[in-house]
Amino acid sequence: MTNKIYFEDIKIGDAMPTFTSDPITRTHMCRYAGASGDFNPIHHDETFVAMFGMPRVIVHGMLIMGITSRAITEWIDNKYLKNFKVRFSGMTEPADLTDANTKARATIIVTGNVVKKFAEGGENRIQCDIRVADALGEVKLTGSFIAALPSK
Amino acid sequence: MADKSKLGMEMQSYSIEIEKGKIAEFAMAIFQKEGKDQVDPIYLDQKAAQKAGYNDIIVPPTFQFCFPFLAGGGLMPIIQRLGIDLIRLLHGGEEYDYFGPIYPGDIITGKAKVVEMYDKEKKDKPGKFMEFTVVETEFRNQRGELVIKGRTTIIER
Repeated sequence: MTNKIYFEDIKIGDAMPTFTSDPITRTHMCRYAGASGDFNPIHHDETFVAMFGMPRVIVHGMLIMGITSRAITEWIDNKYLKNFKVRFSGMTEPADLTDANTKARATIIVTGNVVKKFAEGGENRIQCDIRVADALGEVKLTGSFIAALPSK
Repeated sequence: MADKSKLGMEMQSYSIEIEKGKIAEFAMAIFQKEGKDQVDPIYLDQKAAQKAGYNDIIVPPTFQFCFPFLAGGGLMPIIQRLGIDLIRLLHGGEEYDYFGPIYPGDIITGKAKVVEMYDKEKKDKPGKFMEFTVVETEFRNQRGELVIKGRTTIIER
């Protein structure tokens, strides 16, 4: 996807398009484990997490960050990214297929607002602060990205 | 408890070859899709990537987090060398600076270093501390060009 977004089109305070993920299932987590090589059993083995008194496995933080990166790059092209940082603030539990009410806790919503426009390294850059929460409003991560945008 | 004498410690570097199939698999994972035709084609189709202004297929922005896992061992060698208690371990944060693209066939070398270690008092438990360790990794391609700098924050709660 190529988006024609120019530096001049962006204003401080502009919101990035809100992105809503599919409810994360254990199958999504297995796919991420295989793709990334991160086989920490906390993400797939319910008998392992039970030893620590946890009711169920938790989603890889890096899958949440990966979903967030998709949300960003559906708005601003990958090639313009200069910096992307997150602070993880809450764990995510996957949806249980036996209970439709659990979908909301596993649905990731990415929002963000442009907070800064500046010149650096001969480029026109924007900083967008991001907030990622589930559909119940529980914050999963906060962070920001910086992108160097083309000018008209 | 992390061994603070390890501040500045450098880990042995590792190298991996960037494989097309692995990029596509990773893209499908973060797009939560089962089919290659359902993800952004810049991650699996050279022609589509070139049409979008890239020289070749590129990698998603967080793909490099996999490199130590794909090379074997993941973050465990660092965690063990630092003496971090696994039960108290949390991934606190992740940051990337992007300097250049990574393409299929590139040989990427990752070199990690412990750059910060500090404590923060717990808000709800005065006198109790959370310990923070920041590991910085430089990723360079086969020409020695720095393509990404990553910073991983590990917390012991």
